Amino acid sequence: MTEFQALLCGLTYWIGVGNIPFVSLWIVQRPLVCGLITGCILGDPITGAVVGATINLVYLGFISAGGSMPADMALAGILGTAYAIVGNLDAQTALAIAVPLGILGTIVWYLRMTLDSIFVHMSDRYIAQGRFSMLRVSNVLLPCLFSGAISIAPAALAAYFGASYIQDFITFCAGTPMRIFQVIGGLMPALGIAITLQYIFKGEAKLFLFCGFIIATCSGLTLIEQGIVGLLVALLYVQVTDKVGTSAPSSGGGSSNATKDVSDPDYDPDED
Amino acid sequence: MEEKKKLIPRGKVIHAALIWETWVQTCYNYERMMGIACAITFLPVVKYLYPGNMEKQIEVMTRQAEFFNVHPEFGSCILGMAISLEEDKAQGANIPNEFITNLKTSLMGPLAGVGDTIYQGVLIPILLALCIDITRAGDGNIWGSIVYAILMLVISYGLSVGNFLFGYRAGGDAIMDFLEKGILNKILKAASIMGCMVMGGLIVNYVSVHCGIVINASGTEFKLQESLFDAVLPNILPLMATLAIYGAMVYRHWTSIKVIFAIVAVGIVGGFFGILV
Repeated sequence: MTEFQALLCGLTYWIGVGNIPFVSLWIVQRPLVCGLITGCILGDPITGAVVGATINLVYLGFISAGGSMPADMALAGILGTAYAIVGNLDAQTALAIAVPLGILGTIVWYLRMTLDSIFVHMSDRYIAQGRFSMLRVSNVLLPCLFSGAISIAPAALAAYFGASYIQDFITFCAGTPMRIFQVIGGLMPALGIAITLQYIFKGEAKLFLFCGFIIATCSGLTLIEQGIVGLLVALLYVQVTDKVGTSAPSSGGGSSNATKDVSDPDYDPDED
Repeated sequence: MEEKKKLIPRGKVIHAALIWETWVQTCYNYERMMGIACAITFLPVVKYLYPGNMEKQIEVMTRQAEFFNVHPEFGSCILGMAISLEEDKAQGANIPNEFITNLKTSLMGPLAGVGDTIYQGVLIPILLALCIDITRAGDGNIWGSIVYAILMLVISYGLSVGNFLFGYRAGGDAIMDFLEKGILNKILKAASIMGCMVMGGLIVNYVSVHCGIVINASGTEFKLQESLFDAVLPNILPLMATLAIYGAMVYRHWTSIKVIFAIVAVGIVGGFFGILV
């Protein structure tokens, strides 16, 4: 990896975590996307996309709510992909190395969330002076530069030095340690699925997890086809239960209760 | 009400909506969360509210810069509503300052809850799962990433701007109505069912747990994975692993970091002794 490629990796990380407009939070931050970008930087887009996609399995349902960031998926995606391409690792091993690195990355997020207060006070001053257009500087330009300052260098350095040692490390790990990495890499996606299940594995929907499991085990449908089947089943189910619901007299009273459940801000998955 | 004279040109409202969606989290912070982002959303419209009256403009901007935190796309209707209320107020309607602030803060909780659940809990995981599957099909390709990026961009901006304009036209009562009608509930139920189906498939395709235990019974090798699990129900181990992690998080309140460490520990022990391969 050249210095320039490492710098580009750092810039990708900045776009991923800096909430740079248009693309950041829902898009480049996801390893599926930043893996592809890293792959393009290192000249192997397809490997990048595949490794990024594999790493992304861990972060399927990660929810950043109320300013919390459970793990830094952008850092895991970029470094994992970079190491995989440079060190010629398979996707599962790259995943096992990338996920612990993602935990370290949250430092950048919390540092930013804390120190951005400086720009809040700056904005307050501009508002009090009536210089509203200066908000573009204090709300956008300076915070973006600041997040760049704390994110580009660490990611670029980690990509550069990590990549130059990764091959030695992997040779050193041949045999049992390598098998351990693969076991870990195979288990990790279960975390991403379990987190997602916290939000959807509720009430009547529970049964459909096992339906999906059995269909996938026995039928050989692709996931897209299974998604379409799932959508149709869901629509059918809602239509049928809706008919039953309107004929029952209790549905009027139940609806306000149900809304309260959905709009509960401290959404607790084990409430019911 | 029907004869409401609009102070703000429609283009400026759309401009405000685009500012909101684009810069909402550039200065995200623990002190005011999205407060300053609210203020900058008012940038294109504030001069139409009180033309030439700087004192009043400063008052509006200060009021809007207070603490605010919501889901960017689902909560954008609150900003639209705030602009509409400020517009009524500027035209002489009797709206106390606290009313606008209170309405904003009372709506942000429910909309953040709904938004985070539907968006990050259901929509993104389903989209990601399908696009990851596209990417890893065959020898791999780049289309899953590209499809995901384009879809998310279109959905985010479309939803955010549409919702912003809905809030601007309809006002706070309509938002309350919408929350109470239970439409969201139906969407959430359908999406949960679809999500569960997809997650079931995802477990089969992407979680891999193989038992490596071989029992030597009177000269014949009995491989636990092939002879027991694969014969009874293939993929039962990945399903059990997923449900175990789910149970630990829901019933034992493990954080994701703790789960990651547990997986690493299980991997080291299981891999070292050859229990898992």
